[in-house]
Amino acid sequence: MSSIPQNRVSGRRRRSPLPYTWQKGYLLAGPAFVVMLAIFVYPLGYSFLMSFFRWDLSGSAPFIGTGNYTDELFGRQFNQALRNQIIFSVVSITVEVVAGMAIAVLVNGELRGMRLARTLLLVPPMIAPAVVGLNFRWLFNTQYGLVDALLRMFNLPNIPWLSDPTWALVSVIIADVWQNTPLMVLLFLAGLQSLPQEPLEAATVDGAGPWQRFWHIVLPLMRPVIMIALMLRIIDTFRTFDVVWLMTQGGPGGASNLLTVYAYLLAFQAVDFGHAAAVSYIALGMSLVVLGLLYGVPWLIAKRRAI
Amino acid sequence: MDTVAVSTHRKPRRRRRRFTAGIAGRYLALFLTIAFTIFPLVWLFLTSIRSSADIFSVPVHIIPVTATLTQYVSVFGEYDTMDYVWNTIIVSFVTVILVHLLAIPCAYALSRFRMPGVMLIFGLLLIMRMIPVIALAIPLFAVFAAMGLLDSIWALILAHTAAKLPVAIWLLLGFIQDVPREIEEAAQSDGAGTMRTLVQIVTPLIAPGIGASAVITFLFTWNDLLLALTLTSSKAAQTLPVGLTNFVSQFGIDWGAMSAAGVLMVIPTLVFVWFAQGLLVKGLTTGAVRG
Repeated sequence: MSSIPQNRVSGRRRRSPLPYTWQKGYLLAGPAFVVMLAIFVYPLGYSFLMSFFRWDLSGSAPFIGTGNYTDELFGRQFNQALRNQIIFSVVSITVEVVAGMAIAVLVNGELRGMRLARTLLLVPPMIAPAVVGLNFRWLFNTQYGLVDALLRMFNLPNIPWLSDPTWALVSVIIADVWQNTPLMVLLFLAGLQSLPQEPLEAATVDGAGPWQRFWHIVLPLMRPVIMIALMLRIIDTFRTFDVVWLMTQGGPGGASNLLTVYAYLLAFQAVDFGHAAAVSYIALGMSLVVLGLLYGVPWLIAKRRAI
Repeated sequence: MDTVAVSTHRKPRRRRRRFTAGIAGRYLALFLTIAFTIFPLVWLFLTSIRSSADIFSVPVHIIPVTATLTQYVSVFGEYDTMDYVWNTIIVSFVTVILVHLLAIPCAYALSRFRMPGVMLIFGLLLIMRMIPVIALAIPLFAVFAAMGLLDSIWALILAHTAAKLPVAIWLLLGFIQDVPREIEEAAQSDGAGTMRTLVQIVTPLIAPGIGASAVITFLFTWNDLLLALTLTSSKAAQTLPVGLTNFVSQFGIDWGAMSAAGVLMVIPTLVFVWFAQGLLVKGLTTGAVRG
């Protein structure tokens, strides 16, 4: 591999007759790198550094080692937010992936109106999560909201959606599930449509029922798509902020605080940037660890089997 | 394609070919899915065209008593929402333009030029797409405060440009790699320089890719709440999503006006979903990560 431009010989194909030198490459990519370094990498590095200081924008910032991290890891509020985050991520991802797969399998095939259905399914994942949060706050309004009105219509007891600590987290999960399940349906539909037909036909000939075909053939073949779906949702649930902010602002009493909401409150209400930075790095670290497990564990198992 | 649940008995009335109970079940599943998907949005729209008396009535009227535009009038009149709308439009459009001016040459260089450290850059780009926005917003607030840039449209544009670049570069990379090198080689042997090859040959060929990443960048900038919430504090730079939060704190909760503002927020999404569905799906599946 040489970076020296080769002589151009017209009419003959060379490996690289173009002046693809690294200097020119960096010249082209340079502006984007500068912007990302200055406004993305540098601030992140700065806040990582400052997460080891007492950082409250007051001017003096003494070094306190891992103080911010240990404060948080042993603090009540952080552990509440962490617990909420784990419940939120596990429940909403599970519901979204399972429901998404079920719906995709049910509606897969040549149904009339599928084109329109696809278009409509694209709407919730693409609208602002802030609007979703606002809308569900309105739907869950105890006095004038539609959901409780419907419950009353069927003589069911009203639910204190946003004022009860447990229901507040459930409400946030419902809003997230509503917004993101359609994306899973679309992803899985695309996956189902690119499945090879031969194994399915062979299984039918061998007398496999629909459930057996799904469990033993469709699901294993869909594994790459499911992995992508899980990755998307893991990254996304660890950064969820907007929906919660408009529905509950993390309340009541921190009962629907997720890690990002908690970090925001620390920084911009308590003006405690050091702790906030520490929490945001813990959130990033957690999503990296979960993704590492998601990809690492199957890889390790495959490796052991190979031996 | 065989059906998932095959049933033996036909529906007696409908004599359409192969209309089995299995197919009926699948239509029911499709219908219920779409109903649940659409209904909350329909309800938002219905709320926005009600009179305030109708909104705050018990029992709740499912069908609006009257259709009126008063909520929209008050959104623009009492609440000065036009300021938020303009800020959102300017920030979103300028961000899309800046991101692509930077991302297209960058993606081209990364896919074609033998640059040392390319693998490291790919790794960094991947990790940057996973960073929680709050992790970026906290130090950006401090940095922009020190520079006196807080509460300006430019602070938001710069922040969004940097935050959306990794996704756009990643998306465009895939499209550039599909362009056969022979075309560029032909252009260059005809005497076109690197810049000219990029602008006149490569850019038109990856137009669908640019469209996809532009739509994605636009919508995720339009929808953003967190960056705008942290970096702006007045109508000089606040965007519509922040405007939504102001409805809550300042005026109690004016549900009618809030719903009308929410409907306004959703319009660009509806337009892109209807007219550029292909680009959106391409952007979501190629990028496979939300901005």
